[in-house]
Amino acid sequence: MNGSRRRDKKRHSIGSRLSPYLFLLPAVVFAAVYFNYSAIVTLYYSFTDWDGINRPQFVGLQNYANIWMDGNFQVSIINTVIWVLASLLLPVGLGLLFAVVLNRVRWQKVFKNIIYLPHAMSATASGVIFAFMLSNNGITQLFDKIGLDQLAFNWLQQPPFHTIAMIFTYTWQNVGTNMVLFLIGLNAIPKDPLEAGLIDGATGWKMFYHITFPLLKPITSVVVLMSLVNSFKVFDTIWVMTTGGPYRSSETLAVTMYRETFVMSNYGYGSSIAVVLSAIIIVLSWAYLRSTMKAGDA
Amino acid sequence: MTMRKAVRAFIYALLALLSVVWLMPLWFVLINAVKSTRGFFSGEIWDLPEQFRIWENIRYAWVEANIGSGFLNSLLYGVVGAVFAILVAALAAFALSALELKGRMFWFLLIYSGTIFPVQMYLIPVFKMYAEAGLYDTRIGLILYYIAICIPFCLFVMRNYFMTFSKEVAEAARLDGCNDLGVFVRIYLPLAAAPVSVLFLFQFTYIWNELLFGMTLSRSADVRPLMAGLANMRGLYASSNIPALLTAALIASVPTLALFSVLQKNMMQGLTIVEKK
Repeated sequence: MNGSRRRDKKRHSIGSRLSPYLFLLPAVVFAAVYFNYSAIVTLYYSFTDWDGINRPQFVGLQNYANIWMDGNFQVSIINTVIWVLASLLLPVGLGLLFAVVLNRVRWQKVFKNIIYLPHAMSATASGVIFAFMLSNNGITQLFDKIGLDQLAFNWLQQPPFHTIAMIFTYTWQNVGTNMVLFLIGLNAIPKDPLEAGLIDGATGWKMFYHITFPLLKPITSVVVLMSLVNSFKVFDTIWVMTTGGPYRSSETLAVTMYRETFVMSNYGYGSSIAVVLSAIIIVLSWAYLRSTMKAGDA
Repeated sequence: MTMRKAVRAFIYALLALLSVVWLMPLWFVLINAVKSTRGFFSGEIWDLPEQFRIWENIRYAWVEANIGSGFLNSLLYGVVGAVFAILVAALAAFALSALELKGRMFWFLLIYSGTIFPVQMYLIPVFKMYAEAGLYDTRIGLILYYIAICIPFCLFVMRNYFMTFSKEVAEAARLDGCNDLGVFVRIYLPLAAAPVSVLFLFQFTYIWNELLFGMTLSRSADVRPLMAGLANMRGLYASSNIPALLTAALIASVPTLALFSVLQKNMMQGLTIVEKK
C-alpha cells in the first residue's frame, strides 16, 4: 500500500519532468523528418549518380565538377544573378520610391491598395495572367495597332526579353509588400530629426538622403534580405510562364534543379544544384547580416 | 508657390497613370474571362465582350479542367495545415517559454532550422520518402508536408508572444491544481487569439499559393492542389480555351482577394510580424 503510493509519486514526478518534452515532441518530429533528415539526405544524394530508380552510385564530387562544365547551368546562374539584381532594383527600389511618394499624398490608402492588390493573388495566377498578356493573343496586338511594332512579338519566346517580362510580372506582384513595409518604417520615424533638418535648410532629395534614408535603415535591411533570399528561390513565375524555355534559356537555379531531377531523372545532379543554391543563399545572407550589424555598431 | 502646385499636380497625374497601368492586366483578364472562345478569337483583347459566357467558362474550368477539385483540395490543405501547424508550434512555444527544460536554445534552433535552407533542399528526399511510404499522391501526405513547412515561422511568432507572459499566472494556476496541459489550454491559448489569427491568415495564404511541392507530390486531380492544377491547365489550354483559363486564374484568386479585402488592415499590420522574422 505504502510502497505503491510512493511509486505513484515517483512516477508522477518523472512524468512532470518529462512533460515539457512531450509538448516539444510533435514539432521536433516534424522538423527532424522534413528538415534535418531531408537536408542531410539531399547532401548525400549530391555525391551520387542516381536515376531515381536503381540504387544511387557514389561518385564523390563528380556532380560538382560537372556543374561548372554544364552550359545549361551557366545560363541558369547568369539568369539567377539577373533576377537577384533586378529584384533589388525593381521590387525593392520601386517599393521605396512608392512609399516615399505615397507617404506625403492624400488618398494614400487608395493608391496603396491598388499597388498592393496583385500581392493578394498567387505567383501562379499572376504568371497565367501575364503569359496571356504577352502572348500573340494579348497586349502585343495593341502594340502593333499603335505603331510600336518593335514591341509586337511573343515576349516569352525571345531571350532576354522573356526574363525581363517575367521580372516585370514578379515586380507587379511583389512591390506592394515592400512598399507597405517601407511605409510602416516611414511612419515610425520620429519627427524631431526631420524638423531639425528643415531648420538646417534640408529639403527634397537632401532631406531624404541625409536624414530619412539612414533612419529607415532597420527596415531597409530586412526588406533587402528578404528580397535577396526570395529572388534566389523564384520558381512559380518562371515555371508557369515559360517552364524555363525556350531551350532552357530562361531557367534559374530553382527551375534547373526541378528540371534535372523530375523531368530528366538526374536525381544526384539535381541534389547537387539544390546544395549549391542553399550554399549561395546561406553565405550571402550571413555576409549581408554581418555587414549590416557591423554598420549598425559603428 | 505655383511651382509647388505644379509639382503636386504632376505627382498626382503620375500616380493616376501608375494606378491605371497597375490595374490594366486585371481589366484585360476581367473582360476576356467572360467572352466565349469564338468571341475571344474573332475579336481583339481590348474589345468589350459581346455576350457574357462567364457561367459557361466557370463550368468548364471548374468541371472539365478540374479546377473545382483543386479548389476544394486547397481549401482542405490550407485550413487543416494552418490549424495543425499553429497548434503544434504553440505547444512547442509553450514548452520553450513557460516550462522547465534543458537546452531551450538547442530545441528552438532544431525546429527553426527549417527556415535556414531553401525548400529545394527538402524536395527530393520528401518525394522519395513519400513514394516508399505510400504517401505520394495522397491528401494526408500533402497535409503533413504543409503542417511541417509552416511550423518554424509559427513557432517563432508564438514563442516571442508567450515570452511576454508573466510566469506568476502559470504558477498560480498550478497551485490551484492545474497541470501543464491545463495551463496551456486554459490560460496561454485563449490569450493568444491575436497572433493565432494573423498566423492563420498568413499560413493559409502560403499553402493556398504553394506550387512546387503541390505539383511534385501529387499526380491525380483528386489530390492535386489548386495552383498545381492551374499551372497544369495553363500548359494544356494556353492557346485553345483562353477565356476558361483566365476564369480559372480568377477563381484561384477569389479566396485570397476576399481575405485581403475583408482583413486588409490586419494583413498590413500583420506584415510587421513577418518583418521581424
